[in-house]
This record gives sequence, C-alpha cells and structure tokens, in this order.
Amino acid sequence: MNAIEVEHLSKIFKVQKSRAGLKGALQDLFSRQYNEVPAVNDISFSIPSGEICGYIGENGAGKSTTIKMLTGILVPTSGKLNVGGYVPHEEREKFVRNIGVVFGQRSQLWWDIGVIESFGLLRKVYGVPEQDYKRRLDELVQRLDLGDLLSRPVRKLSLGQRMRCELVAALLHNPSIVFLDEPTIGLDIIVKTEIREFLKDMNRQYGTTILLTTHDLQDIEALCSRVIMLDEGRIIYDGGLDTLKTRWGQGTRITFQFGTACPLPKLQALTSDLAVSWTADNDLHAEVLVSSDLNVSDVLAKVVGQPEITITDIKITETTTDEIVRQIYQTGSAQNNASDGQVV
Amino acid sequence: MYYIGLVIEYLKNYLKTRLTYRADFWVEVISDLLMQASNLIFIFVVFGHTNSLGGWSEAEVIFVYGFFMIPFGLFTCFVNLWNFSDRYIVKGEMDRILTRPAYNLFQIFLENIDPPGLIGSLIGVVIMIASGSQLGLELVWWHFPIMILFAISATLIYAGIYIALTSLSFYSDSPTGILPLLYNIQNYGRYPVTIYNRTIQFLLTWIIPFAFVGIYPASLFLGRTEMFHMAWLTPVMAIIFATIGLTSWNIGVKKYRGAGS
Amino acid sequence: MLSAYTDFIRIRFLTMLAYRVNYYSGILIYMLNIGVYYFTWQAIYGDRGEIGGFTASQMTTYIAVSWMARAFYFNNLDREIATDIRDGSIAVQFIRPYNYVLVKMMQGFGEGLFRFTLFMIPGMLLALILFPVRLPSDPIAWIGFLVMLFFSFLINSQLNILTGLMAFFVENNDGIMRMKRVIVDLFSGLVIPISLFPGWLSSIMQWLPFQAITYLPGSVFTGRTTGTGILDVFAIQVAWFVILLIPIFFMWRAARKRLFVQGG
Repeated sequence: MNAIEVEHLSKIFKVQKSRAGLKGALQDLFSRQYNEVPAVNDISFSIPSGEICGYIGENGAGKSTTIKMLTGILVPTSGKLNVGGYVPHEEREKFVRNIGVVFGQRSQLWWDIGVIESFGLLRKVYGVPEQDYKRRLDELVQRLDLGDLLSRPVRKLSLGQRMRCELVAALLHNPSIVFLDEPTIGLDIIVKTEIREFLKDMNRQYGTTILLTTHDLQDIEALCSRVIMLDEGRIIYDGGLDTLKTRWGQGTRITFQFGTACPLPKLQALTSDLAVSWTADNDLHAEVLVSSDLNVSDVLAKVVGQPEITITDIKITETTTDEIVRQIYQTGSAQNNASDGQVV
Repeated sequence: MYYIGLVIEYLKNYLKTRLTYRADFWVEVISDLLMQASNLIFIFVVFGHTNSLGGWSEAEVIFVYGFFMIPFGLFTCFVNLWNFSDRYIVKGEMDRILTRPAYNLFQIFLENIDPPGLIGSLIGVVIMIASGSQLGLELVWWHFPIMILFAISATLIYAGIYIALTSLSFYSDSPTGILPLLYNIQNYGRYPVTIYNRTIQFLLTWIIPFAFVGIYPASLFLGRTEMFHMAWLTPVMAIIFATIGLTSWNIGVKKYRGAGS
Repeated sequence: MLSAYTDFIRIRFLTMLAYRVNYYSGILIYMLNIGVYYFTWQAIYGDRGEIGGFTASQMTTYIAVSWMARAFYFNNLDREIATDIRDGSIAVQFIRPYNYVLVKMMQGFGEGLFRFTLFMIPGMLLALILFPVRLPSDPIAWIGFLVMLFFSFLINSQLNILTGLMAFFVENNDGIMRMKRVIVDLFSGLVIPISLFPGWLSSIMQWLPFQAITYLPGSVFTGRTTGTGILDVFAIQVAWFVILLIPIFFMWRAARKRLFVQGG
C-alpha cells in the first residue's frame, strides 16, 4: 500500500513583476504584469506505508510547496495527489485527522498558556477519546522527557523544548502519516539526536510513514532509507541514500590548523596508502577530503600524533545536502543511472 | 456538537490567557464602552440642534442605536477578523489552521474570540429599554422571538460583509487590508437612511447592507410602517450575505499561496 | 545619515503604490463618508441658515475638506509600532544606527506623500464634482491651509506613535488603538465641528490636541478664520506639536528601560 502517491504534480505561482523606479511603480498601480513561476514542476513519486523518506533540495527548490500540497494547505495547479486515501485539498477536514504536521519555524502551540492546555485543546480539535489521549500523552511525555515542562507557557520554553512539544502536539492523535518541515533546524546536537531517535522508534513501533525536509545530511543518514532530491521544482534524484552519497557526496572534509609549518607533500606522504586528496592554502592550514568508503579515524590516526606536527585545531565537516545537489550538477548527472537510485 | 464543544474549549483557553493579563481585559471593556459613548455623543449633539432627523425623533434614533449594539456586540465577540491579514496571511498562521480537522474560518473565529464584546450587546438592550419606555413603545409577545431572529440575522449580514472583504486578503498581501476603511461606514446604517440620496441608500441597502444591521430591522419595533417591508427582508438578506461571505471565503482559501517558503 | 531617513520616505511611498486594492476602494469609501455626512447635515439644517456659526454651504465644504485631510494625515503607525513591540522585532531596532521613532515618522511621511498626491487630490477633485464644495478664493487661505495640513499630519502621527508605544506597557493595546481612532475622529471635529458641541464640551476640547488635527485647518479652508486669525490657530498647532514631543520622549525612554530590564 502506498501512503503517498503523486502524479505529474505542478504548482505555478503568479508573481507580480515590479517595474523599477517611481515611474514603474506608478505604472504598476494601473496595470500589472505577472510572471508565472513554477514552484513545483511535474513531479511524480510514491511512498509506501511505513517508509521514512527524506525530501531535500536547496532553498526555493519547491520542498515546502510540495509539503504544503501534500498536507492540503495549497491547491495544486495540476496533477494527481493521493495521501492516505484522500485528495488532501478536497476533503481537507477529514484528511488531516490522519496526518501530523510540524513546521520547524512555526509554532502550533498557544503562546500564552501552559503547554498542557494546548494539548488539551488539540485533543478536542482532533476528537481523541479521553483514554487514548491520556495513554498517548503519557507515552510521548515519557519518551521525550517533558514531565516538568507541561505547565509552562510556550513563550518560556527554549527552542529545543518547544520543538519536542511541537512533536507531541502533532502526534497526539496518532497520525499514520507525518510531515516534518525542517524539524531539527536551529537545534543543538543533543536535541537533534533525541528527536531522530524518537522518530525512528515511532516509525518502528507504529509503522508511521514519515516525509521530512531538511538541510542536514545527518538527519537523512540517521532516519531515511530513501531520498528524493528536488531542484528548481523537478525531482533530480529518487533512490537510496548510499548510492547518493557514494556517487555525489564528497565524503567528509577534515580541516587542520597547524602550529608550525607543515607543507603539503609531507601530508600527502603520510597518507599515501589511503585514497584521499589534500589541499592547502598555506603551510599552516590544510584540508583533506575523505570519501565515504574510508574511515575518518584512519586518516586522523596518520596525521595526529606525528611528533614533528603540531596541530592547533581540527574541524570535521560533513557534506550537506546542498553540496550534493551542487555536485550532481557539476558532474552532469543525467548519465549516472544506477540500479537502486536513479537520477531522473 | 463537535463545534459547540470546541467553542467551550476555546472559551476556557481564552479565560486562562485573560487571567494572566487581567488589566488588559478591563482596558478593552472600557475602551469598548467609550467607543459606544462617543457614538451616542454624536446623536446627542445632532439633536441638540434639531428635533428630528428625516422625521425620526431623538428617542427613536437612540432606540435604533440600541438595537444595532446587539448584533455589533455578537459580531465583535465571535467574528473578529481585525488582524486576519497580518496574523494569518503575512505571518503564515493559515498553514497551521489548514492542517487541523475543523472548518478553517471557524477555527479563526474561535482563536480570536472576544467575549467583552458581548457587554456592548447588554448595554444595547438597556438603551432599547430606556428609549423604548421614553417613547411609550408597546411590544407584543411575538416581538421578542422576532427581535432575536433579527439580531442574529443582522449579525450574519455584518459577518457576511466582513468575511467577503477579508477574503480579499488571500489575493492582496496588504498588511492592513481594507477593513479599517469600513470602520466609519458601518455606523451609517443606524441613521434613517431616507435622509441620504438614492445612490447612498442603494449602497447601504443592497451592496454593503449596513442598513439591515440597524434602521430596517429596528423600524419594526418602532412601528415605522414605511420600513416594515424592509424589516422583514432582514433574514433573507442574512442568508444571502452569509452565503456570499462563505463562498468568497472558500474560493479565497483555494487561492491561498502560503507565506514565505 | 539624512539620506538614510529620506530613503524610508521613498520606500514607504513605493510600498503604498503596491497596494492598489486599498487605494481604489479608499477613494470610493471616502466619497461615501463625505456623502453620508453631507446628507445628514442637509437633513439637520433643513431650512435653517446657520448652526454653530456654520452656514449650510460652509458645512459642506468643511465636511469634504475634513475627510480629504483625513485621507492625507491618516496612518497606521500605532498598529505598526504595536506589532513591532509584540513580535519582539523592536529589539533589533534598538541596535540600528538610527532613531526608531524618527524612522516611523519618516515612513508615515512617505505614506502621507502617497496619500496626498494619489488619494487626497484626486479625491478632492471628485468631491468637487459630486458635492457643492466651495474652494477658498484667498491665496492666504490656501497657503495657511496647506501648512496647517502638514502639522495635522505631524500631530496625528505623534498621537499614533504614543498609542503604539503603549504596547510596551499593556500586553494588548488593540482596545486603546480602537479608542484612539474613535476619539480622534470625534474630538478632532471630523464628525462634528467643535463649535457645534454643547458649550462645556467644546470648551474642554479647546484644551485638547485633537482639534488641531481637523477643526483648525478646516476653519481656515472654509474662510471662517482669516487674516491674522490664521496665525493664531497655526500657533495652537505648533504649540501642540512641541508639547506632544515631551510625552513621546519620556515614553520612549521608559520603553527602552523596560526592554533592557525585561529582555523584550
């Protein structure tokens, strides 16, 4: 069974062209010109029940627009849409009982009253029976460790605390499909990990289908078996994460800052038996790119601890989804057809 | 039943919020009262210079005003769209509304519910009783259910006009919308519309029918037979304008573009 | 630095141009306002020649020019400031290298320029066609009126800024803003000229700033105040402008203090 089915979905926005200057503005007052901007351009995919799928792309690629169509907020310009057995925008009020939505940058809780009051109100809105609500709330509160936050008003919570409460709010009615738009944005690493673990458990336990957008590759790595990548409103990749990473990911970048001069050839010699590439701006600063089939620790072991090298700083950076998108473009993606993941 | 439950639930939340900001509650009540008082001042000043306005006495005009305050209070309490454009379109809270399983406009009404408005309705009743007894009005039993019917109808007309105009926010992203411009116009239906010229009468009767929120329905209780036929049209206009409001709202929601990214 | 402020004027002017629905409907609604009061006063005058020192014809001109003046000086600075305060974006304004209140004033002026050229002037022309409005023939009355109109804008904006800043001290100042709107419309003489109020009330209102917004410039335009009398009423406006700077200054200072203590 597919939880989400999308066929030839498009959303075109009419955007007003503003003419420049005062004269242009006066002209705009009496006659307006519009550009048609396709935010989502003829995309098709389906997501089976119980799958966690990452939906990625740069800002403005059409991720949020798609999510808003899938959740019934926006009406598509054309195409077919079926989510959990409903056409979202047509039977919105029935449809949304089955889904949970979290927008990372917007709160769905009431600002001035205790979190628990918001939950109580949402219980009524979703018509959850008292007993189910109690059981579910207890479970979520325990799992997300919210015990003493419940009586506080939302405005007194930290971002991480608020986000955990947002998750509870979106999941109280035990939805079978959950949409998460940037659920980890702005959170610290501990909260991020907690939320990832929680989502994974929920998926395992209830078979919840999850579609999430993110810029954080680690979110995807921790959660998703599948990735759909969007660029300029079109799907440019749909498949497994591993294929995506090995083919276009640049692996991990380690940046070294040295206390004393350490020329590039010396570093290359140290790691000669590993397939890594070094770059350096000067003798005090070097970067090494470790492809994803190698261990970062192996590379570090070769460099760190050499008596003649003094290291003042090490920084390890993972490839972001944005970088992968750029990489796909640079390598001319169309030729790379893989068996389990294809660029379309 | 589901929706009645929601009203109660939202009212509870309203009270909880308000208890945190008690001072604001009273500021709001007092400002509402002052606003009504200033409207009455206009009537008093006008009748300080004349005995009749288009053939209507001071007590009659005040009675109409009292009647008007009932639907106005109901409207203020339940249909508060004042900040809609700013809060729901520009700040994008409409997204959240649309992902909840209750009719979206109803959710917006509930989130902005404003019970102090009802105090105005009560004062309206008092004003009607005072001016009615001054006029020596004799009301018969069926006047009372009709008065309730007319008050509800007038509220629906009011709501219909505002909902239709607010739904324009789905097309234009102007932060204030055009509602403030209407602010003065809503008062004009309280005066004997026959003093205006044909164009304005037509406008206030059929296009933005504020006359059906004040003078027309109230004329029935004042025994002003020349307007009886209009008075009985009030419930019909209510159905028409509520339909227009809801239809344009539903079309607007389909055109909703979401805010930002 | 000055050019930064003038930029706020320019940007607001252009922003206003973008909202054409407001603009089109605005002119029509103002005509309706003038029409309603014109006919109401016609009905009140009946066949009487003069009420409160106004002839019926002066009243018509007064109504038209008062509403069109409102089309110019009206703005939503109170609402904008209250929104900035409530959503916390005011905190950012404190670290910017300009004065927030002055910026708001500039934005209000940009809006005023738009309203003057594309709202008030076309509206006035339309009012001339629709209603028997008599324009003053004395050039002094024109100059006096235009200068005073600018001060109407200043005083009204000052009151808006004060109302907006109240949001620092009460959680929800919607009620206060609504009240201010009603009071300004009533006590400025827009709805009823001050001289028509009962004696005790009109003598109170002569000690309030509101009459400086509509009633005083209106009395110059209708020719009820002429010659050196214009200077007298103008002096009242200037005095109110200066006096109102004081509460703004103190309120702004208290607001800053509050913001720094409470952290927004």
